[in-house]
Amino acid sequence: MPEEITMQEYVTLTIDGTKIRASRGSSVLDAALEYGICIPHLCHYPGLSDIGACRLCIVENIVGGKARVTASCTLKVAEDMVIRTYTERIKRLRRNIAELLVASAPNSRAIQDVAVRCGVTKVRYPFRNDNCALCGRCVRVCAEMWQAKAIGFVGRGKDRHVDFPFGRKPDFCKNCNTCIDICPMTITPCPGPMRPGEEYLCSACEGQLLMADSLPGSCVWCELGKGFQCTRQVQAR
Amino acid sequence: MQPKLNTLEDLKQFRESLASLEAKVTTAINICSGTGCQASGSVKVIEALKAALDAQGLTDTVKLRTTGCHGFCEQGPIMVIDPANILYCRISPEDVSEIVCQTIQKNQVIERLLYTDPVSGKKITKEADIPFYRAQDRVLLSQNRKIDPCSIEDYIAIGGYSALSKVLNGMTAEQVILEIKDSGLRGRGGGGYPTGRKWQQCRQAAGDEKFVICNADEGDPGAYMDRSVLEGNPHSVLEGMLIGSFAIGAEQGYIYVRKEYPLAVVHARKAIEQAHQFGLLGENILGSNLSFDVQLARGAGAFVCGESTALMSSVEGKVGEPRPKDVHTVQDGLWHKPTCLNNVETWANVPMIINRGAAWFASKGTKNSKGTKIFALTGRIKNTGLVEVAMGTLLRTIVYDIGGGPYDGAAIKAVQTGGPSGGCLPAEKFDLPVDFETLTEAGSMVGSGGMVVMDERTCMVDVARYFLEFLLDESCGKCVPCRLGISRMLEMVTDITKGRGRPEQLQLLEELAETLTETSLCALGKTAPNPVLSTLRYFRPEYQAHIQEKSCPAGVCRALIQYNIDPDTCTGCGACLKACPHRAVTGQTKNPHQINQDLCNKCGICKDVCRFEAISVT
Amino acid sequence: MSEKILETILEDRRSQPQQLIEVLQDVQEAYGYISEEAMTTVSKELGVPVIEVYRVASFYKAFSLTPRGRHLITVCMGTACHVRGAPRMLDEVRGQLGIEPGQTTPDKMFTLERVNCLGACALGPIVVLDGRYHRNMTPNKLRKLVQSLRTAEKPAPSTGSGQALSVVEGEVAVDAA
Repeated sequence: MPEEITMQEYVTLTIDGTKIRASRGSSVLDAALEYGICIPHLCHYPGLSDIGACRLCIVENIVGGKARVTASCTLKVAEDMVIRTYTERIKRLRRNIAELLVASAPNSRAIQDVAVRCGVTKVRYPFRNDNCALCGRCVRVCAEMWQAKAIGFVGRGKDRHVDFPFGRKPDFCKNCNTCIDICPMTITPCPGPMRPGEEYLCSACEGQLLMADSLPGSCVWCELGKGFQCTRQVQAR
Repeated sequence: MQPKLNTLEDLKQFRESLASLEAKVTTAINICSGTGCQASGSVKVIEALKAALDAQGLTDTVKLRTTGCHGFCEQGPIMVIDPANILYCRISPEDVSEIVCQTIQKNQVIERLLYTDPVSGKKITKEADIPFYRAQDRVLLSQNRKIDPCSIEDYIAIGGYSALSKVLNGMTAEQVILEIKDSGLRGRGGGGYPTGRKWQQCRQAAGDEKFVICNADEGDPGAYMDRSVLEGNPHSVLEGMLIGSFAIGAEQGYIYVRKEYPLAVVHARKAIEQAHQFGLLGENILGSNLSFDVQLARGAGAFVCGESTALMSSVEGKVGEPRPKDVHTVQDGLWHKPTCLNNVETWANVPMIINRGAAWFASKGTKNSKGTKIFALTGRIKNTGLVEVAMGTLLRTIVYDIGGGPYDGAAIKAVQTGGPSGGCLPAEKFDLPVDFETLTEAGSMVGSGGMVVMDERTCMVDVARYFLEFLLDESCGKCVPCRLGISRMLEMVTDITKGRGRPEQLQLLEELAETLTETSLCALGKTAPNPVLSTLRYFRPEYQAHIQEKSCPAGVCRALIQYNIDPDTCTGCGACLKACPHRAVTGQTKNPHQINQDLCNKCGICKDVCRFEAISVT
Repeated sequence: MSEKILETILEDRRSQPQQLIEVLQDVQEAYGYISEEAMTTVSKELGVPVIEVYRVASFYKAFSLTPRGRHLITVCMGTACHVRGAPRMLDEVRGQLGIEPGQTTPDKMFTLERVNCLGACALGPIVVLDGRYHRNMTPNKLRKLVQSLRTAEKPAPSTGSGQALSVVEGEVAVDAA
């Protein structure tokens, strides 16, 4: 039987019960954000490739009656796909991931806001001041936008960190400082930097979460999104 | 220089010529030279044997063959003399002249070199009578015993490459795939995915360039089945890959071997070289349309590279970071081309299935887990080594009948299966049959085949901590749930082993476990909680003892134990003082010694060296 | 002299980024570690960005970015070896040489590494000393081995775990060709 390759430009998929039309080749996260569906994210940044590292953008992809949890930034849209973005299970898993993040990198308004947006109300682990969420935005912007490749991930596992080659700034670094601009850790918490041993979960903008929860799944242009440079806020700028 | 085998007929005739050569040999000495026996000194034994046979002018009628791993590693160096089937174990170079003189030349058995059955206490002459072997079904492992892995002739002589001949002699790709499907063969690396289905999916994938890969990364600590098969029978893997490439339509294959197996790397390279020489790799193999070549890729010390997408990244020369699995590797794998990746043991089973038929393979095992599986049985039991049994064999049979029971009296408490992705099953569960679904339901998994036996002196909380530490070390670090989740789980379990545990941590561990299982990017993170979950399920009292009573019942967790010297029993010999690496023992000769608790690191070395049992641990 | 070795390693592999790991393996075996110079040269010759070379070299445990001691002590920490007392080997080395896994003694004589399973599980605890496998190790045996190395100092540098597979009682030249 001859295989017909239909070069459809668009596919129709259902997200949270809403039928939406998305370009073939785009990710479920991109499609959702475009339609004003809120899916919290950190390592995704408009214009850069997606690596699926933070796992905050997880959704349920219903296949054969079973709900598969997967990252929406690396999941490409497909015809008749059925996605759910804010089931109780997804909310719980996302909250736990955000809790892990803020427990390791509390010294950033972006991470604190992400945590509140994901419903974290208490942090059950001792705080650490890792000062890097390993989101990889800096690495990707250097490689993809500036084509410099002056920084990258080195090491493995708990020793994974971002560094210059051999630990020294190379002469081909373009000194654009976009890596600093795009980094979520450089936005200090509103009351100021947290000293080691004095970290806490901020929750000052918790009201924003309540507002978001009243319209589950929809974007309400919350202050929290401004905090962690949510795609919709960045694109609206 | 052996001329190429250009047709199926060439191969058949070559095999017949080998058989007639073999007929001249009256006695064959098969001596194991796998990594295990080499560590026990088999190399010098082999050298001595060579010299002795030479000196006695026996090299024409006596065939000395260095084989790969027999699987009975504890008894090494091991040799089997055929046709009498006499097995000698724990041989030293000094025994050689006697062996040649008495057994080879006079057919007399040397009692002291025979294996002693630890249960009955009797000496056993024949390999076939040894309970360790008799209780097994060694369809694959038995081949190791008969061949020199560096000799393609040996492999061909026992029927090697006849399955390939059968395939090239009129089977279609679809027929081959159907045979593998009907056999019920499932991935032997741990995933347990139906092999036939994987081959079919890869065959149907769009694209004219496809790859087959052999995963020989075997990173599970405590597992060495793949090492023995690749080291001892590399051609079985090549033949399997050849058949697979025919079925799928691939022309290039890779064998990815971990760096920690240098002998397997050497033997695999040699096998590939020899296969080329004989025309069994390359263009128009045996006169057919099949063209296939294999390259070796070496690992560089990363457990995560056992994961298919990370492995493929590594072959591409990049870091071993797994990729999202929303699109399967059978469609988008190595260099984004359709790729069929299978484990060493899976490939090695293929020639047998083609030759003996799917029905033969499916006649063994359970409804959903067919055939035999090799397990690496290690830990606190008498007989350690490689064990091949039909799926569905009871754990009890493996641990007691084959393993011989407890190592030195301490009751067996648990069996850890499936490596860091698996779990611990308690003695009450030993009546479970070993098959994919059963073990998974019980909270563990068959995994790659590692089986570590643990007794009363193993602390299950420490076991959970050990695996978490391993996984944190090996995690690629990309995704949050794995990198930070394992770190926090380890933090909590470590707290518990140090007497700082709190009851609510057990609940948090279980909640965090769900997050890792559901949201991690790859199987390393997804299965990381299993050791903790299974030990919480079956050994919760041990956790509670650590938390509530701040005690370690098995006497392992260093923060919760104390070593003391009994002044009444201590003779003042000073052995412990000399042995202590932390200089924590003080005392004068012939006077009772003391342990300085501030310096003591609780390693237990002192207790091991004390001949008077004067040191106790509380 | 040392440049020539690198030349040989890079022969036939120029402009082939997928050869990066194989090349680094050969560099590690030849020099005992991977230097900045080596990484810079490899980056240029293979056509791989230097940050990528650095990334790969730092990801895989087989590669050492600092020179290793003359003798490499590798302790297997696999499950089977663990339940048979492998942690005590680390205690012994800590007590005798004062180093932790990954470290080298100040006199550059010994480097201690741990490895997660060598596949000789039935014979654990296993310690590999300069490529030779030692089975059923005890802290006492390890101390004696280290002491004997101290007294019979070999001038040739250790090249890591290497390809040579040799045993306690004898040498086996593993055909690495």
